[in-house]
This record gives sequence, C-alpha cells and structure tokens, in this order.
Amino acid sequence: MASNKYTERGVINSLPYSGEQGTTTSLTFGDIRYRKSKHPYKDFQETQIYDLQEEPYRKSTKTVLGLPRRDARIIAGLMLLASIVRLYRISEPTSVVFDEVHFGGFASKYIKGRFFMDVHPPLAKLLITLAGVIGGFDGNFDFKEIGKDYLEPKVPYVTMRLMPGILGIFVIPISYLTIKLAGFSTISASLVATLLIFENGLVAQSRLILLDSPLILFTAFTVLMWVNFHNHYRRPFSFWWWFWMAMTGVGLGLTVSVKWVGLFTIALIGLSTIKGLWDLLGDLRISPEVWAKHFLARALCLILIPTVIYMFMFAIHFLILTNSGDGDGFMSSEFQQTIGGHGMDDTPIDIAYGSKITIRHLNTQGGYLHSHDHSYPGGSKQQQITLYPHKDENNLWIINNKTKPEIPFDEQDPIWIENGAIIRLEHITTNKRLHSHEVRPPVTDVDYQNEVSGYGFPGFEGDDNDFWRVEIFDHEKSDPKSGERLRTLHTKFRLVHVLTGCYLFSHSVKLPEWGFEQQEVTCVKGGSVPKTIWYIETNSHPTLPLDAETVNYRKLGFFGKFFELQRVMWTTNNGLTDSHPYESRPLSWLLMKRGISFWGQDHHHIYLIGNPIIWWSSTAALAIFVAIEIIILLRAKRGYLDHLNVTKEFYESHASFLFIGWFLHWFPFILMSRQLFLHHYFPALYFAILLFGVVFDFFTTPLSTRKRASVALIYLVMVLYVFRLFSPLTYGRPWIKSDCNSLKWISTWDFDCNQFYNSYDQFSIDADLKALKISPTGESSSLTVLNSPDSSEKSEAAETHAMQDDSNDALML
Amino acid sequence: MEEFRRRNTGIPRNYEKLPSKDQNENGENNKTYKAMAYKPTRPGINKYIDLLREHQDITIPIFFTLLSFWTRFYLISYSNIVVWDEFASHYIKREFYFDVHPPLGKMLVGLAGLLAGYDGSFEFKSGEVYPDNVNYTWMRIFLSSFGAWMVPLAYFTAIELDYSQQSAILVTLFVLLDTAYICISRFILLDSMLLLFTFTTVFCLTKFHNERKNPFSVDWWIWLTLTGTSIGCVSSVKWVGLFATALVGLYTIEDLWNKFGDLSMPKIVCCQHWLARIGCLIILPITVYMLTFVIHFAILIHSGPGDAQMSSLFQASLIGNDFDQNPLELAYGSKITLKNMGYGGGLLHSHVQTYPSGSEQQQVTCYHHKDSNNDWIVKKPREVAWSEDDEIEFVKNGDSIRLFHASTGRNLHSHMIAAPVTTSLWEVSCYGNETIGDQNDYWVIEVVDDLYEKDLQTVRSLTTRIRFRHINIGCYLRADNAVLPQWGFKQIEVTCDKSNNTKDAYTHWNIERHWNDKLPPGPKAKYRSKFIHDFWHLNVAMYTSNNALVPDPDKEDILASTPDQWPLLKVGLRMCSWADDVVKFYLLGNPVVWWSGSLSLVIYLISLTWYLIRQQRKYIDFPSNAQWDHFLYIGKVCGIGWLLHYLPFCIMGRVTYLHHYFPALYFSILMVGFLFDHFTVYLAGKTRHIVFGTCYFLVFAVFWFFKDIAFGMDYPAIEISNRKWLSTWNIVD
Repeated sequence: MASNKYTERGVINSLPYSGEQGTTTSLTFGDIRYRKSKHPYKDFQETQIYDLQEEPYRKSTKTVLGLPRRDARIIAGLMLLASIVRLYRISEPTSVVFDEVHFGGFASKYIKGRFFMDVHPPLAKLLITLAGVIGGFDGNFDFKEIGKDYLEPKVPYVTMRLMPGILGIFVIPISYLTIKLAGFSTISASLVATLLIFENGLVAQSRLILLDSPLILFTAFTVLMWVNFHNHYRRPFSFWWWFWMAMTGVGLGLTVSVKWVGLFTIALIGLSTIKGLWDLLGDLRISPEVWAKHFLARALCLILIPTVIYMFMFAIHFLILTNSGDGDGFMSSEFQQTIGGHGMDDTPIDIAYGSKITIRHLNTQGGYLHSHDHSYPGGSKQQQITLYPHKDENNLWIINNKTKPEIPFDEQDPIWIENGAIIRLEHITTNKRLHSHEVRPPVTDVDYQNEVSGYGFPGFEGDDNDFWRVEIFDHEKSDPKSGERLRTLHTKFRLVHVLTGCYLFSHSVKLPEWGFEQQEVTCVKGGSVPKTIWYIETNSHPTLPLDAETVNYRKLGFFGKFFELQRVMWTTNNGLTDSHPYESRPLSWLLMKRGISFWGQDHHHIYLIGNPIIWWSSTAALAIFVAIEIIILLRAKRGYLDHLNVTKEFYESHASFLFIGWFLHWFPFILMSRQLFLHHYFPALYFAILLFGVVFDFFTTPLSTRKRASVALIYLVMVLYVFRLFSPLTYGRPWIKSDCNSLKWISTWDFDCNQFYNSYDQFSIDADLKALKISPTGESSSLTVLNSPDSSEKSEAAETHAMQDDSNDALML
Repeated sequence: MEEFRRRNTGIPRNYEKLPSKDQNENGENNKTYKAMAYKPTRPGINKYIDLLREHQDITIPIFFTLLSFWTRFYLISYSNIVVWDEFASHYIKREFYFDVHPPLGKMLVGLAGLLAGYDGSFEFKSGEVYPDNVNYTWMRIFLSSFGAWMVPLAYFTAIELDYSQQSAILVTLFVLLDTAYICISRFILLDSMLLLFTFTTVFCLTKFHNERKNPFSVDWWIWLTLTGTSIGCVSSVKWVGLFATALVGLYTIEDLWNKFGDLSMPKIVCCQHWLARIGCLIILPITVYMLTFVIHFAILIHSGPGDAQMSSLFQASLIGNDFDQNPLELAYGSKITLKNMGYGGGLLHSHVQTYPSGSEQQQVTCYHHKDSNNDWIVKKPREVAWSEDDEIEFVKNGDSIRLFHASTGRNLHSHMIAAPVTTSLWEVSCYGNETIGDQNDYWVIEVVDDLYEKDLQTVRSLTTRIRFRHINIGCYLRADNAVLPQWGFKQIEVTCDKSNNTKDAYTHWNIERHWNDKLPPGPKAKYRSKFIHDFWHLNVAMYTSNNALVPDPDKEDILASTPDQWPLLKVGLRMCSWADDVVKFYLLGNPVVWWSGSLSLVIYLISLTWYLIRQQRKYIDFPSNAQWDHFLYIGKVCGIGWLLHYLPFCIMGRVTYLHHYFPALYFSILMVGFLFDHFTVYLAGKTRHIVFGTCYFLVFAVFWFFKDIAFGMDYPAIEISNRKWLSTWNIVD
C-alpha cells in the first residue's frame, strides 16, 4: 500500500498491525481468517502484565496478614507517621469549625431522632453520630455557628473528630498497597503514601467533623479492591476473583452513601468494567455463555451490591429519624405522615357548602392557604393571604355559596360542590373573604399577577371580587366521583377568580418580614399550571353523619420514601446556587488558586489550603501524562510502533485508569452550576497524586534503586519543608503576621494575615492572661481587627466576618 | 448527470450470499438500483415517457422542484394579517436597531421589502391586517422561494450520499410534504433561509466528500469554497448555523487526522490540505460573517431603537442623534446619562421599585432603553455649600461627587450588603434625598483615559473613560451582564466591586448625554469607533441578550416547548390568533416524517451497536472496508449532524420553540433514506417497489390529511378536531 518512496518504516508491513496502515478505518480484518479456517484463535494483543507483577508475592513466604514482611513494616511505619501528623492536637480548636456547623448538627439531630434534610446520603453522618454516641454526646448542643465553644457544654467533640481522623489515616496504607499491587516499585508506593500524609489540605480536612475524609477513604478502598480484582483477571470465577469484585461493589456502595460524588467513582469502575467486558467479547475462546456469566457476575457485584448498601443506609436513616424536625417542610404530605407528630386523623371525604376546610398547595411545600390579622403594607392594604406550612387555626376556611343560603347549611342536606361551581371562601378566625383585584402583588410586582387579600367587615355582604370558580384539574382514578365534585385529598382543583379570570397561585417566593417570611399567594393570568393546583386536606361539615366515608393520605412504604427523598435531595442540591465568599471554580482548583477560610478566633486561623508542592506536582503529572499520550497518539498515527512495547502498555494502562479517575472526579464539576469549594477537588486530587507516583516510577525506571530513593527523598524534604511552613494554617497554631505574609505566594490566597500578632511573645502573654481567666481581646478577634487604625485592612477583616456569617446559611458538600 | 448514475452502489451485507451473478459482472461502478428497477428490455409505453425516463436524473428533480414551488406558493397571500413573528426590518428606514440574530437573514427580508416597494411605514405588529401599500405577497414569495429550493437540494444530497434513487425520492418527498417545513417557509421569517443554508451546507459537504479522491482539482476547490461560503451564510442568518459549522468542523478534523496518518502522503501535500481548510473553512466563513456586519453598519446609518446597545461613540456617528448638543466638559449641576463601557453595557438606571431583599432600598440597574430614569445630576457632597446658581465649576479628576437621580430624587448609594444576584459583591441602591443621606452617597470620580485628550484632569462627554470609587468602601461601581430576576424587570444588576481591579472594563463608564444650560454645545466629534470594536461589541450584546431569554418559571408560555417534546412531535405551535374568523396556521410536522425520522435514529444506533458487537466477535457483515466506512460516514453526517443540532438546545437555559428542531429534522430524514436502502438491498425489485410505494403513499396521504394546518384554515378549528392525534396538540382548545 505504501509507495516505495516512504518505506523507511516499511518493516511494519510484516507485523500483524500493518493491515490498517494508510486506510481510513481503524478496524482490521486480518484476524478473521482464524474464524474462517477453524484454526485455534490467538490474540496478539495479550500481554502478561499481571502475572509478571504477581511473581514476587507468590515467591515470598514470610508474610504478615498476607503481606510480605517488608511491606508490612513500611505500612506500619507510614501509619504511625500518619497518626502523628493527622491527630496532632486534634482537640484544637476547642470551638466549632466551618461545616462542623452542619455535620455536628446532624449528629445531634440523629441522636434526638429529629427529621432533617441534607443533600448528602447518610453513611458518614451516621458514623459521626456513632462516634458521638460512643463519646457520650446527648445531642444537646446545636453547633449553631462557627466559633461556638465546645468545652463549656462538654461536647465530646474530640471523639467525633477522631472518627474522620482515624478513617483518614487508613487512606495511607491503602494508597501504598494500590500502587504496590498495581506493580510499581516500593519507592513509588512509599512516596505516594508520604505525600498523602503531608498534604496540608487533606490533613486539615480529616481533623474536623467533615465528610471528605470518609469519602476519600472509601474511594481509595474501591480503587484498591478493583486493582486486586484486576490482578485476578486471568483466573475468572475463582474465590478471590469473586471476593475482590464483591469488595469493589461494597466500596462503591459505601462511597456513594457518603456523598453523591461517589457516583463518579461508580462511573470510573463502570467504564473500566465495560472496557473489560468489551475485551472479553473480542476473545473468541470465550463462548457467549461464559461471557454472559461474566456479565451477570459484574452486574451482581457492581450494581446490585452497591444499590443494596446505599438503600440500607437510608433504611437506617429512616429508622432513626422518627420525630418531626426542621426537614419536614421539604417533604410531601404523604411523606410527612410517616414522621412522628405529623399524623393526620381520617377526615370526611365529602365536601359540601358549609364545610370547614384546609386547602393545601400541591406543587410547592409552602403549606396551607392561610390568613392572619395583619395587612399588606402596600397595594390595597387589605389583610394578608399567605401559605403557611404548619397546622394552625388560621388555615381554616368555610366554603360558602355565591349568595347567602336561605336555610343555614347546618340545617339542610349537604349540597356537593360540583366542577364549575362558584364559591366564596370565608376565613373563620377573621371573618374576611378570599378576595382579588387589579392591584399588583407585594413582592412579584409584574403585570400578569394580581394581589390576593382577605377582605370584608361586619355588615358588609362582600362584592363580586370574592367569587371563585372551582375547576377540577385532576382526580384520584380509583374514585371517579372526585372527578365530578370536590372531595378531600382526591380532587386536585384550580380556583379561577370570576371577574378577572386569573388563577389562585403560589410560588416559592417569600414575603418579607412584615409577612413573617411566609410564602406569597397571588392570582395569575396565564401562569404556570402546576403552581395553580390546590387540594383540600381536612374537612368537617356539621350535617355529615359520624360514620361518613373518610379518607387519609396513602401510606408511603420504604421505597416511596426513599425515592422521594432522593428527588428532594437532587433538587435541593441543584438549588444551592447562591454565591459564597470562599467558593471557587473547578479550573482554579488545578493550580489551587484559593482556599477556604475555616475558622478564625483569638488570633488563630484555620485555612484550608493544600501543600502547594504536592498539589502543583500532581497537576504537573497530569499535564505530563496528557503530553505523553498526545505524542504517542501522533507518533502512532505516523506509523511509529510505540504501542507494541509491553512496558509502555503497562504504564499506559495504569496511568490512563488513574487519569480517567481524576477526570471523572473533576470534570463533572465544571458542568455544575451550584456553589463549589476547593474541598470538592480532594477525591480527584487522590487520583492525581497516585498518577504522580506512576509518572515518578516511569521516569525513574532507568535509575538504580538507591538513586531512585535519593530522588524521592530530596523531593520529600522539600514537601516536608513546605508542609511545615503552612502547618499553622492547617492546625490553627500560633503564627505571626510577617511569616504569614511571606507565604502569600499567589495573590489570590486569601488567608487573613491580619488576624495574627506581630510576634510570638504576644501568644505567651495571651496564654498567661488566659491562665488568669482574663480575656485580652474581648468577644472575638474580628472585632479587634475592625477597630485597628490601619483602615486599608478593614474590608478584609469585614470579609472574614461576613464569611463566618454566611457559611452558617450555606449547605456545603 | 452521469455521475449520479455511477454512484448508487448498494451495500450488500454479505456478498457470498448474493443470488445473482450479474451484479459482479457489472462491476462495482455499474451496480445501481436503477439498473435493476428500469430494465431497458421493458417495453416503452410511449416514446415521450421513455424520453423522460432516460433523462430521469433531470426530470425527477425538476418535477419535485415544481411541486415544491406549488406547495410553498399555494394560497400564500390568503392570510392578510401579520402572522407570528413576521416583520420587515429597519433596513428600509435605515434606522439602527438591535436583535439577537446576525444580520444576513434580516437584510434579505429587507431586500424583499425593497423589491416589493415597502416604504417602512407599516409596523409589523403580530395579528394586524396588512395595509394596501404593503405588498406582503411578494415579500412572502421572495422568502418562501428560499424554502422551495430545499426540496431539490434534499434530492441531490441523497444522491451524493449514495442513496438509491427510490430512497432519494423518499427523502425528497419527506422534505416536500412535511407540513412544518411548508408552514414555516410561507411567511416573512428567517427560518426558510436558515434551513436553506443548512441544506446547502450538507449538500456542499457531501459533494466535497465525493471529490476527496481528486484533491486540489477544480471541482474539489469549488465545493470546498462553497462549503465555506455556505457555513458563513448559515451562521450569518442565525447562530443555530454554528451547529452546522461544527458538523463541517468535525468532519474536517477527522479528515485531516487521517491525512496526518497517511504515510504515503508527502508532508508538503499534507500542509497544503491544512492550509486549504484553514483558508476555505475558517477564514472564508468569518469573512462572510463579518461582511454581513459591514453591510449592516453601512446600511443602518440613522439613529434608531437599538442605539443603546452600542457604545456611545458608535451612537455619536449615527445620523439623527443629538449627542452633538452635549457640552464638552462635565460641570457640577450637569444632568448626564452614564454608559457602561463593558461589552453589552447599558445605561445606569434607577426606578421607584425597591429590592425585595438586602437593604430593600430603591433598585439601581443597567438598562438599554433610553428614558428619563437614566438621568443623573452631578452634585457636590452635602457638606460643601453649593447651589445651582453658583458660577460654573467643572468636575475634576478625583473629586468626590454625589449622583442624584433626577426623576426620583434619590442618591446613588452603596453599602456592605450583599448584592441580590452576585452576592459576593456589594449592593448598589438609591437612597435618601437632597438632605437625608450619609457618607455612603459619595463617590470619587476617577478618570481612566481619554480618547484624544492627554490632559486627564477634566471629564469630557463621550470620550473620557471614568470610574466611580465609593468613598467609604473603596469599591468600584460595576455592571457586567448578570441579569436581575423578574422583580428587577430582567435588567442588568449594578454592583460595587471590592476587588479594585482598575483594568476591569465593566467598572468603566462614559458620559453619553450631557445637558447643562450654562454650557455651550461642544465641538462636533470627528472620530468614529472602529469597525472591529463595534462588531465585537454587537456580538457580545447579542450573546448576552440571547442568554437573557430565559423562561419565567411562573408564566405559562403556550408557544414555548422543551426539546424532549420535539422528536416525538408532542407539540404544535399556534402561529396566530385562534379566533374562528381568522385564517389559522398551526406549526406541526407531518407525523409520518417526524416519527419515522426519530425512529430511524434509534434503529441506526441499534444496528451500529449490533455490527460493532459482531465485529468484536470477528464476524464479517461488510464485505469491504469501503462499505463499512460508508455506513459510518452516514452515521457521522446524519447521526452526529442531528445530535449537534439537537443536544445544545437541551443544555441551553433560554426559551426554546418547536422551530428550533427543524434543522435537526433534516438529518433524521436523511437517516430514514439511508436505512431504507440499507435494509432493502436484498429485496427483489418488485418488493422494493411495494415497500417504497407504500411509504410514498403514506407520507402523501398524511400530508393531504393535514394540509390545511399549513395552507391556512379559514374555518373554525373545531372542524379539524379529528386531526388531534395526540392529546398534547392544542389544535383545538
């Protein structure tokens, strides 16, 4: 095919890959003759990677817990080191730090059994709760704000912090084993593990009551199990093959039960599985039946097991949270029936004129149509109509006829309210009628919305603006009668204002303080249909017999609750779009342009920032990998045969697995519009650091073990030095302004140096004063800084202050 | 025409099983379906029919083109009201206006108006009756002729994609008889042009693909150049055209990648290929696109409703604006409007409505329309005694000033309260009045630079760039393109930026209008803004306005639809009022066309997976690489083409309408033709005839059944309630 002019690389024609040179297709038909000629098929691409790597393990006889003794010793050493680094003064600071506000708070809610809503699955929070229970925490501390003192109320916060702390330590041996079992050198494995020990960000994160430490642990665990599984690739259906695959599934289940970020880990293992299955499909020695067996085994271990674990966590979650709490409002009425304190008695199903009812909005969780004895400050200045989420006297309305009945409703047979009936709704406690008119609503001041108010006074018959027409929108299919007339719970209806033709409407817009932050109710023309749908929740009528047909919410089973909670978590998660003073975007994570201020008090400051050397070298490893891959790709396209090299194949397959792992844990964040923080990068960082180990191994292959070790050691000394430099920010230790300012290597690192004293002496004076029980600086340091004479620093100090307030409001991953 | 006949090679799936030998004898090039279908031995009924048959390569497309013109022109003037978005532009009046679409399509509409003798006096308001002096029939005919050419293009594209003639006819019929294509082409809208240029792009691309064996030949250059021109045109009608551009781009990247891997190709030839592509597919389209803007600016030389979207300098160059009345230098007591200098920036604005959160003080926004709420009066701080009657005193660089909102009597104010949308910045509001207020009402005016004056001490209208620094917080007054929610009328948020980036163009302002009774009008400006700056400015403004078209979650928009509804044709669109006495048009596709199009994409995906799995198991389904490549090539052109025209709408936040799916529909139609060929290769000639004949009939019958929705219904909608096949079609109430 190639003309003679370009045959310098003509040798390739004698190799099996030559078939595709110069054609536009990547498919080769060269192998087909095997199928045709019934010769035993031989796969050219098979390499012997895993067997080569397992050799040393099989030979070594001296083992500790199945590990060669040398590895066991190294691991023990690393764990000791990690424990010292990670648990050093874990009791400091003695007050609430950053998101401990949330996760400590959730622990106290678990202990009290109060239902709450969070965007994260329950596992890590359950573990923290467990730690709290072990430490004797009674749940009587609310973790309300950053900086709230732990010591006084005797919160066992150290035990609670130890849970993520100890889990974080286990990441170290796992990373070591991952690199080692994948077949790389002991030096690389130790290097990676040491880097993970001295990564300031990971240290800061795992010392506090936060979810990231368990998340990284389970991610790392899953990867290790998958590497083990791959090492048994050639012995399918053996015990260990099953075991490691099942453990991968368990790992996936645990990871995704901590945070939904675990879904990215699932995607990684999923892609790897698909690739594996695809390769098996191409192996003609494997019959379709065996292939199906392979497929089913993976489906069982990697889909079924994680799903069961994930659901099991929620089963525990529901089992514990049986009391009403601040999360009730997020859930549907059906769901709320299952929470203690929310059960509703059966209520008569038939609604007639004269019924006392409560009306609920269907598509928001705003609650009941409500009115109270307060007026709108603007507009018509008539009485407010709102949605109110709790049960209350003020939610009660009477359905009246258009005209006053000749005989009172309680003395005649009930008259049903048919579709199209024109009604008036009278508010029982204030005697006002539901009213609307051509006045703009108080908050949503747009021309297609009208105000809805309560109107009327004694002796006034009311006017035509009180008339509403019932339009039945939907009904319970099992109850055909509810499609023709109003029935409790079963009929979903809309209320049309007769004179203006607008629909009674509500949306998730809150009224300001004068409306008690209840939800706005308006009358809309051409509004979104789902937001105009209402139903009647409770009903009573004077003439209905006691044994009248009653109705109640359908009981939700576990699956109903489970799926609803998932949906609510999803929408809440997407709704976290407010900006936050310390948020950052995924692209800035690569270079660690900015950290998060965790805590600042009494001239101590905790700021989440990684070890720049580790961080940047892991990013460099990613860049190097991409560059090498591109070069290989270009060269392969030009006919150079790098891709037949077994060593290259070995490095490439591992490095690309880790790279895809990194990519899957990083890239999806770019597409998210919710608020993001530096700590969202940590799972990706784990993969990047492992990749750094592989790249290190690759480049130092030509060196002798001794030289390799010295290179690693020199690098480690640098890492250690930088770790030491930044450690005051990591541990919240005393520091001085000048040291702090000298570390602002990048102008966007916004740790607040002004919080520190000018010299260390000041700290010892503080300590002395503290011993005398005199607080030298008043309530909090931010105040002191605000009063400082240097006015240019004011805004920064104010920012820190604002940050502390803001982070209370924002839920964070 | 000879080449059409040559190329209809079939795709037998396993030639060992092929029954007849004569296929092989004919050689690959002569293996045509036509040869099977029309055997020369068949006796001619009539010599004229024989003649037609002999030249069917010409007669078939001509026949369909005639039909196409008939369907597009039939009853075109029946409705004498403005239907939907019909408009003739400001080009006739040569007034500058602003729109989210690039100018080519609207210029052609303007041309149509010019040819029809329209004088620009009639304002196209939806639903209004055309007056006698507007020859809307000619304008509609002009534009629908664009739509009519889609039909022959579809035919030739199918032929170029190596479809059999029967399949090509099927594709042509689908395009011809799709009620949505007919309906959208018949009015004064941009879509017929967009569709036509999308069709030409695909056609040129396939033509070019078929010339790939003769690189650098004349034909090769012609089709490459035409492809480039075509993507330039399609992108200049609507930005949706960028998806067609992406398709050509992906094709080219793959092509060049393969050339890179072709070791037999000298490097110099490879470079030539690269250069040819860069020239014809990047530089040429950009030139076309920019050229349309050059013409756009050249025609629109009068001041008009779109002025405020552009920079003040550009506006100053328009005829009919009164900027030359501006006194030159800013003085205390001057009334001014302030224009943000960032791309797409508006005028500093305030109105009586208040923020619903934060400080709940009066809103300050950036707004593109000119009204008296944009007027601010420059005053001195309250502490400094000063009155309007004092001697004129010019504002100097570094002065502290107070900006007084003329119509509400409040002061521009900022404080450390988070802004409503960009919560990381401070809120800017209007607060107090002449006497009430505090230090937070004061701003330091900082001169950045001046276009033609070296001395930066004074502030000149139009040419001086200034910043406003808040005297207490030190933050800069800023407006980028963050849009406020409904309560802020979707105007642009104004914030105070504490990051103190002095180079940020969004914190730069200039004085646009300037009134001061005591000062004489300044000298007439002698400079113009640069074209490239105006071009970029306008494009950024288009982009931001486009993104601001987000649906209001509280409002039910019965015209809008979501992408997931399109492939299954779950919605139609009422193009005018639905009153009984109005001629009504309902934008709804031919269900046969739309459903089979979507189904074919699914079937293609399934067969692709099937073949890949079989290949992995080393089965041979395609006797030669070329046939497998052709299978993939169709998948790339039609499948990826469809994805590129469909998926972006799913991701976009803006409001989407049914007609956004029309370009994607074409790719699914082409896929139908391919699959018909692919699965009927082995059928005997007669069976094929029956299969295709049934399809032809079906699409025609359904078209006939639905034709009134496209040609206009002059009877009450209730009479066609039997056409309401899906409950979601709002064809009757």
